[in-house]
Amino acid sequence: MLSLLVFLPLAVAVVLLCAPKISDRISMLIGGAVSLGTLLLATVVFTQTKLTTFHFSLEEKVEWVKTLGISYHVGTDGLAVWLLILTGLVGSVVFGFAMNSKMEKGRTFTVCVLSLLTALYGSFVSLDLILLFTFFELTLIPMWVMINTWGGEHRRKAAFKFLAYTFAGSIFMLVGMVAIAMQYAAVTGRTPSFDVVTLQAATATGALWKGAMASQSLVFWSFMIGFLVKAPIFPLHTWIADTYAESPVVGPMLSSVMVKLGSFGMLRFVLPLFPEAVQAAAPALMGLATLSIVLGAVIAAVQTDARRLLAYSTLSHMGFVVLGIFSLTHAGVIGASVQQIAHGVTACLLMMLVGVLINRLGTSDLRQLGGIKATAPKFATVFLLAMLASVGLPGLNGFVGEFLTLLGAFQSGFSGFAGMSTGFAVVSGLGVVFAAVYLLGMFQKIFYGPERTWETGDMTDLKPSEFQLAGVLLLFVFLGGLAPNLFTKPMETAGQAARLMATESLGKRPSWSDAKMEVDFVGLQSDRGALIRLGPGNEPQEIISDSNLYMIPGKAETKPIAMRGDQP
Amino acid sequence: MDSSKFSMIWLVLGLPLLGFLVQALAGSNVVKAMGEAKGKKVMGMFAVAPIVLSFLIGAMLTLQLSGAEPAARSFVVAGPSWIEILGLSIPFEWVVDPLSMTMVLIITGIGSLIHVYATAYMAEDKDFTRFFTYLNLFILAMLILVLGNNLALLFIGWEGVGLCSYLLIGFWYTDHANARAANKAFIVNRIGDWALTLGMFLIVCLMVREGQGGGSARLLSFDVVLAILPKALAANPGMATAIALLLFIGACGKSAQFPLYLWLPDAMAGPTPVSALIHAATMVTSGVVLLNRFNIVFALSPLASAIVVVIGAFTALFAALIAFGQMDIKKVLAYSTVSQLGFMFMGCGAGAYWTGMFHVTTHAFFKALLFLGAGAVIHAMAHNQDMRNYGNLRKYLPITFGTMVVAWLAISGFPFLSGFYSKEAILGSALASSQATVGGINFAQVAGWTGLFVALLTAAYMTRLMVLTFFTAEERWRSIEPSHDHDHHDLDKNHVPHEVPAAMWVPLGVLAVLSLVGGFLMERGGAFQKWLYPVEVATIGKVGEHPEGIPLVALSIAACALGIGFGFFAYLKGLPRNQGLDETRWSPWRRSQRDQFGYDEAMTNLTVEGGRDAATAFWTWVDQGVVDGALMGSGRLAKGLSTTMKVLQSGYVRFYAFMMLVGVIGILSFFMVQGGGK
Repeated sequence: MLSLLVFLPLAVAVVLLCAPKISDRISMLIGGAVSLGTLLLATVVFTQTKLTTFHFSLEEKVEWVKTLGISYHVGTDGLAVWLLILTGLVGSVVFGFAMNSKMEKGRTFTVCVLSLLTALYGSFVSLDLILLFTFFELTLIPMWVMINTWGGEHRRKAAFKFLAYTFAGSIFMLVGMVAIAMQYAAVTGRTPSFDVVTLQAATATGALWKGAMASQSLVFWSFMIGFLVKAPIFPLHTWIADTYAESPVVGPMLSSVMVKLGSFGMLRFVLPLFPEAVQAAAPALMGLATLSIVLGAVIAAVQTDARRLLAYSTLSHMGFVVLGIFSLTHAGVIGASVQQIAHGVTACLLMMLVGVLINRLGTSDLRQLGGIKATAPKFATVFLLAMLASVGLPGLNGFVGEFLTLLGAFQSGFSGFAGMSTGFAVVSGLGVVFAAVYLLGMFQKIFYGPERTWETGDMTDLKPSEFQLAGVLLLFVFLGGLAPNLFTKPMETAGQAARLMATESLGKRPSWSDAKMEVDFVGLQSDRGALIRLGPGNEPQEIISDSNLYMIPGKAETKPIAMRGDQP
Repeated sequence: MDSSKFSMIWLVLGLPLLGFLVQALAGSNVVKAMGEAKGKKVMGMFAVAPIVLSFLIGAMLTLQLSGAEPAARSFVVAGPSWIEILGLSIPFEWVVDPLSMTMVLIITGIGSLIHVYATAYMAEDKDFTRFFTYLNLFILAMLILVLGNNLALLFIGWEGVGLCSYLLIGFWYTDHANARAANKAFIVNRIGDWALTLGMFLIVCLMVREGQGGGSARLLSFDVVLAILPKALAANPGMATAIALLLFIGACGKSAQFPLYLWLPDAMAGPTPVSALIHAATMVTSGVVLLNRFNIVFALSPLASAIVVVIGAFTALFAALIAFGQMDIKKVLAYSTVSQLGFMFMGCGAGAYWTGMFHVTTHAFFKALLFLGAGAVIHAMAHNQDMRNYGNLRKYLPITFGTMVVAWLAISGFPFLSGFYSKEAILGSALASSQATVGGINFAQVAGWTGLFVALLTAAYMTRLMVLTFFTAEERWRSIEPSHDHDHHDLDKNHVPHEVPAAMWVPLGVLAVLSLVGGFLMERGGAFQKWLYPVEVATIGKVGEHPEGIPLVALSIAACALGIGFGFFAYLKGLPRNQGLDETRWSPWRRSQRDQFGYDEAMTNLTVEGGRDAATAFWTWVDQGVVDGALMGSGRLAKGLSTTMKVLQSGYVRFYAFMMLVGVIGILSFFMVQGGGK
């Protein structure tokens, strides 16, 4: 199932590459159909994934290089399922948009996007570090080709910067991966293992990092550098502005998913594998996240190009994701996971709308735009909604993630857990104020002002096909804002497990490899996260540990009163 | 009586939502299909009807509520979950109690009148249905704000009304100045929202620490929070002050108090019905509603109360002084609103929370009336808003004049009119209160005396407005030379003002009646206070109603008389030369009043100009310079090294990358084999 989802796009891409004489238009049609197909598959994966457990569903495992402990191991859980759907959604919208804007060299384009889809799906389901690395690196090549083929004036420089930057980041990651596999071999005396489930089991019992806290910290940072570059987070973010500005707009549209590899990597690999290092570094990472949020927004406010503005906006919004993750509270982790989806949808929509502008008028320079509301009212309305979603207006999708991540950051600061401070939430909150500054400013510069004409083209309103594409994304904007539980509920169990893996002490950490272990909630208002042991019939048997979800020690009842299945 | 009796509240909210959807989805098509005039009439009716129905249902529910036991007049109508994660549950739930229902009646009642008025006022506008789309959405958001039973729901309304305000200030989109005013309103409000959000977080954390919601995960719901928080805060006054101040900063943004009032005068760029509804009667009073909702928290903190009362008094004084320097009729009313809001906060800070709401109500009557009247004047004067071009309009606009006289006397504190009672209540409680005593200084009393002086100023600047607009025989627009632009009708010497149509003066009449008798009816026997606060508030005992030994009634009647007298004395001779069209002849004092004593400009310089410079500097120096430079520099170094090696000259990035990969894997495999071999 998962392998089909992952490799279907690549297989079609290879066929397209080899097949003679397929017209550009047909290839793009095929590409669109395949994207929609994967979206459908992702939906099936969603329904087949067991969301009440933190253990992986739909696992597939095949030995790859046995002596090195490398395997083809994939699986999915609540944290990944929405990202899979987001990938399919954005992929489909990208093809729709490209066909609308009559992209040249459609066959090359289709091959690029399809292989990128494989890389994205693959990264979200990888449970082996080398597999992850392979997919992670596979994202680079199609992006690089796209920037180089359809990019702007300075495309070569931008393409080089993108590649060098992300590649350098992942080299650190690769070193870390090898180191952790060797560490595993050293402490167990067995062959090395790149398998996340195996490594995490050894981490949960404390065997893996026993007496090796310094190396844990080093390996942690080597992973983090790779993920921080990808996310992107200050100060490893400077690739994104050039990439956004010089790519064809489909680049940043796809990038709205690609940056999630960074944040998802932290949730999937970093929290479970490096608990002590995570706690030690959490304040520093909260600091970097805060800097990203505020500085991204501040710099965005003085950009004169809509694409560069959106690049810095991504920096700012991804800051919230990292802030939530490293708050190490339940609200923070769930907020971060929701924010990933919300930002993916909104950033893709905004970028597509900027693409519409570029298609019509040949520019995204805010100094040259203005007065568009008069001639394109529908376009203005859609843009307004996307802009407001990005601003974080409650009732639209941007709000829930920002609210929960900030709440989480405030909670961990209030509790003083791992040396954190409420200052992070207080300062990060200002990012929401600045978001209004740059986004409202952009909206004003594009849409307000007297009606006018352009020499470079006609500013006609959205075509029905464009309106439909935007409509699909807008549907998610409203769903995310008004029915956020659709998104949070599936993530809760897996999110809580990831958090407990990082915050609990030895022996109390959930372990992916132990099928009789389950995370649960207990307490008066289901306010305590717990680890329980299941009996032979998978009924709750014993509570291994429980801890406060908010990280704030409370005065109230600490005795667990509810157990799995007694959900209020 | 149980809360299921109030499930009709869903209809109160649902009708404006329906109206909004009809306008948004069908509006422009209907107007296109049925023809301009007829289509607008139909859509106008569709815009008004939901609000009127909403009002009727609201009135019915209020009656029903008043039938309940006074102490038990608070019902929560539960709904589906909105945000729900482990340990935190935020449902859609509505609170039906005297505070929320009072606001519902104001919002839908005054809202209906203003909707009717706007169907005529906006009849010529090509974006007629877009206007009503926003206006209906505003009513919905405002209702969510007052009816929401938790802070997060309140926040949807809070930002929702801000959004509508933003959209309506920038309604005429061809002018960048309107857009700037709209952005300013949204952004300044967001500063307040930031504090409000932090307040929410702090409440959640305290709820967790102090007993975890007593069995409920609804950690932001009023019924849960207000039951638990007082106990927790009583032992911890610092936290009470922190929460109170965070909420108050939020209130300062929305309710335009110093130092965040800046956006409200600029907001006058929107159509006048918007100014009446949003920027006078309803939205800007949200802050007062918030303070009333959380009165328990404020009551526990004398420090926060003192800050509220001082900010309120200062804002009242500051804005009243600025009003004297304004020539735009709407700007005078805008500063007057800021000033009157200051009064409301004075009442709240003094611990007499109900007086703030009392003034909210009466102010909604007379200030909406003043704005709508001003709208009628502007309508009659070819959209010229400069009072220097008015004069003698009572001759041409008798109905508008008659109703505005009522509002003018009401706001001036003329005995037995609505404003008199609510202002009396505020000043009386402030002078008799010891709630805001910090370090031995009774700030409430200081504010009370300041308020009395501001009452005098209010009467004076309002008389100035009335005299310049309606009185004297000067018809100053007669001296404007006609322009030769025939497309657009401008105010010139041939202009003859006409009284507005019935759709516009009927709402004026209704509001005039309310301004006339509303205060008297609500004050009688303490009816309003007992309605709003059937149970004694925590500050009781610290708050008196009538200061002993101070003849307050006599003093405030004197203030009103003096103010009006001064206004007539100064302006009945006609427009003084030192306030004429040539502003260089204005006195320095008048000019500084006009310029808000330089505050707006200073803040603009600091934030807009200064902010841009700082951001640009940061972008070029730190982001592009240091960070990008360092990272790309190390990249270039690596590239340089490989070039000198003259081995890899293909210049293809992929090749470098591939070689790097091979190299790294090679090195690591070596280590691995070594490690594995141990």
